[in-house]
Amino acid sequence: MFSSELKKGSTEMLVLSLLEARPRHGYEIGKLIEARSGGRLKFALPTLYPTLLRLENRGWIKGRWVEKAGERERCFYRLTSEGRRMLADQRKTWKAYVAAVNEVMGG
Amino acid sequence: MRNWEAFVRSRLTLPGLTPERESRIVRELAAQLDDFYREARARGASEAEADAHACRQIGDWDRMAQDVWLADRPHARPRIDRLADRIEGAAETRRGGWKVMADLLRDMRYAVRQLAKAPGFTVVTVLTLALGIGATSAIFSVVNGVLLQPLPYPDPDGLVRVHEVVPQYGRFSVAPANFLDWRKQNSVFERIAAYAAGSTTLAGTEGPERVLNAAVSWDTFELLKVSPVLGRSFTEEEEMPGKANVIVLSQGAWQRRFGGDPSILGRTVNVSGAPATIVGVMPAGFYFPTRDAELWMPLTINPANPPRGAHFLGVLARRKPGISTDQAQAEMKTIAERLAVQYPASNANESAEVVLLHEQIVGAIRPALMTLFAAVVVVVLIACANVANLLLVRASVREKEIAIRAAIGAGRRRLVLQMLAESLVLSLAAGGLGLLLAYLAIPSIQTLSAGSIPRVLDVAIDLRVLAFAFITSLAVGIVFGLAPAWQVTRTTLGGVLKEGGRGSSSSGGRWLRSGLLILEVALSIVLLVGATLLLRSFARLTSVDPGFRPEGVLTFRIALPQPSYPQPHNRVAFYDTLLNKLEALPQVTSAGMVQAFPMRGDYSLSFAIQGRPPSKPGEGPSANHRVASPGYFATLGIPLLRGRTFTDRDSENAPMVAVIDEAFATRHFPNEDPIGRGLDIGNGTDGFYEIVGIVGNVHHEGLDSDPLPTMYVPYRQDIFSGMWLVARTNGDPAQLTSTVRQTVREIDPALPAFSISPLENVISDSVAQRRFSMLLLGVFALIALFLAAVGLYGVVAYTVSQRTQEIGVRMAIGADRSDVLKMVVGGGMKLALVGVVIGTAGALAVARLVAAMLFEVTPFDPTSYLLTAATLLTIAALACYVPARRAMRVDPVVALRQS
Repeated sequence: MFSSELKKGSTEMLVLSLLEARPRHGYEIGKLIEARSGGRLKFALPTLYPTLLRLENRGWIKGRWVEKAGERERCFYRLTSEGRRMLADQRKTWKAYVAAVNEVMGG
Repeated sequence: MRNWEAFVRSRLTLPGLTPERESRIVRELAAQLDDFYREARARGASEAEADAHACRQIGDWDRMAQDVWLADRPHARPRIDRLADRIEGAAETRRGGWKVMADLLRDMRYAVRQLAKAPGFTVVTVLTLALGIGATSAIFSVVNGVLLQPLPYPDPDGLVRVHEVVPQYGRFSVAPANFLDWRKQNSVFERIAAYAAGSTTLAGTEGPERVLNAAVSWDTFELLKVSPVLGRSFTEEEEMPGKANVIVLSQGAWQRRFGGDPSILGRTVNVSGAPATIVGVMPAGFYFPTRDAELWMPLTINPANPPRGAHFLGVLARRKPGISTDQAQAEMKTIAERLAVQYPASNANESAEVVLLHEQIVGAIRPALMTLFAAVVVVVLIACANVANLLLVRASVREKEIAIRAAIGAGRRRLVLQMLAESLVLSLAAGGLGLLLAYLAIPSIQTLSAGSIPRVLDVAIDLRVLAFAFITSLAVGIVFGLAPAWQVTRTTLGGVLKEGGRGSSSSGGRWLRSGLLILEVALSIVLLVGATLLLRSFARLTSVDPGFRPEGVLTFRIALPQPSYPQPHNRVAFYDTLLNKLEALPQVTSAGMVQAFPMRGDYSLSFAIQGRPPSKPGEGPSANHRVASPGYFATLGIPLLRGRTFTDRDSENAPMVAVIDEAFATRHFPNEDPIGRGLDIGNGTDGFYEIVGIVGNVHHEGLDSDPLPTMYVPYRQDIFSGMWLVARTNGDPAQLTSTVRQTVREIDPALPAFSISPLENVISDSVAQRRFSMLLLGVFALIALFLAAVGLYGVVAYTVSQRTQEIGVRMAIGADRSDVLKMVVGGGMKLALVGVVIGTAGALAVARLVAAMLFEVTPFDPTSYLLTAATLLTIAALACYVPARRAMRVDPVVALRQS
């Protein structure tokens, strides 16, 4: 629906914001993005997974293997405090950007 | 259901990541694919449909692998490990050596990690070795560029110099007539050519300039096997007087002075007042006989009347294939001896000598360079001993780690290899840094040695220097790595673990450390003695009174071209005017001139004393001959001892007079009064010069040789076209430079003043090579001293740390601090003393190697030895005192509680 160029810039922010409330595993993150956007945003595994690795290597999120009752073992990611700071930053920038774009486009 | 992990693993290849990282990624991707599968099944899809759905999630596995790798780069495995894997993979199909290589690579990576954990140790070690390897590589690059590189001409091995040999002087320049006979009569040379290097005035676009040139036999370029890039070389006819008005330019002169003009051929330029046609341009990089010669002209010798008594030519030849230097030498000697019989008046007792051109150029500098090279190898050995000691200490601290590794199955060979890997990592890192140091040092070496070391501008870091530095690093790594590796093999598992964990050292280790330290001190003594000897002889040399006062004097040269100043009276008129103008300058207190300057020029003539029986041809006395102006003596501060010097009345038509120096008077008039006696100078027919005065001796040949007898005559009675002028100023002589240029140009706009330099530089240039050797050896000796001090400090400090408990016990049972101080310093000083004794003996044994470089100091000069030993012991005491202070502060209670 949206071009991949358009989506590229926001993947990291979307992942970070989904982890704000609680830790989630990779599959769940993909599904949540799809569900919350009403199916308009879809990130395939080949896009999503490297993003998770990248964020983890930057120290913004942290993965941990957890086995929940009745479920198979999964890697759950949580936001680190640095990740939280980055998310706040990105959110602010994003809002300002959207507002500016709207001004220009007359929306 | 599919095994998703196996599925992902079979498709995703991540060679760059560590195994742990790789399996985590595989596991997680598999988990997610499994989620897709389960979700599809939950939606009611068949097993096959759900499987296909999950498999579709990752379409392009290569792309996936690439993205994952990019995202996960911080966990990438070092390339070296991947290389080790590949080598090991290959090893399975090949022989055992590969396995060792793979192990070594892994060990080196392990070593890097271990070293990174001990940055202090690593930095000290690498810097120590880098100093050693850097100094060695720098000196090797000089040895390589000067001694080893072939000369920049094709087939350089065939090139030889041919000298006349004169009984009194040894090797001598060649007289033109002799050269012509050699050329005609020899059968051993393909070609033989003569040349005379000099300078000439070239009128270029920016006024007249003095440029270096050489007059060469017509086939010199053919002999050197180098052809012009533009135009032609000379023809045989152009060697005839009157036909020689052609020149060949160097590439540099063509570019700089004529802007690389491609249509330069055929252009006529003014060379020393006469027109000459440019017929050729030599290629870039070509030089002969010196690097800065800018143009060549044919050497003309009048075949009708070639001089046989004037010696001023250099002779170069190329041996025929199959002719050895000895064969060439034998024939040239035969020819010269035949000429000696044929022309007894000029050639009596003369012979000839053939020397390889390369040897001729660098032979004189070889001993000095080899001495420096030996010195620098000693520095490397000291650095090795130092680092070996550091590693020994480190190895004994790590005994436990090593014992545990042995316990879990590492063989002795493996452990030794591991220690060697660590030393190789250190030495290779130091080698890299050392090369950088050498690269940075080369320009300073070139500046410092300019003019005193031939070919020093050929010095550069080339492949050979790189290979040398690499091999040195490897060798150094193995040499200093052997000691700790040896110690490792002696470590017994039970012993160490039983000792309760504190690092301990076997007595073997302690002996090894002491031995290395003694070696270090001994080697430093050898270097220090050498450096002190050179320093003392340099001090002696520079305190030699040159016979004149150089401070405040500016010197420069003038060369009058024959066409514009054909007659003696033209030249006298010019110089009269110039001297008057110089003396009229407000900054100038006096001015004078001479035709051959102390330490720069060389001119001697034979003479006869009036009233004494004539000597046999070729056996008469000769002396330095100087043509001087009246103001010369006063300007240079040469003292008048008796009689008078010259005045303006000693003109062309006045009675001929001469002044001699003290050496002349002592040698030739030992018990007589020379004043009033007559000299027949040059054995000509000019009549006798009457001796009117005696002046002080001047070191014309340099500070390091005794003043030779010298006779002076007034310039108006024997004028030369080229003269050295001297002007004494009441300020900084260098500031007079432009005024001097201007003054000369006012008299003759086509005439440049050149070689302008303060007289003090002339003297310091004359000792440049000695200064170079002294400074370099001094630097090496200081490095050695520093390394020895650091080594001593390290060993004593380590001993103190090992003996803390013992010291505590001693203090608890009544030893006071001075006892501890005595014990610690005494232990270190004992080693230093043994080293000093051995080193002094070693220095006495090798000191004669520097004998040739000494001046008025014997190689066994007691002062130098005592000074050196005292210096080293003082530094050693300091190096021991620092850790001893720490030992004195040991608190017995704390020390005892440690156990």
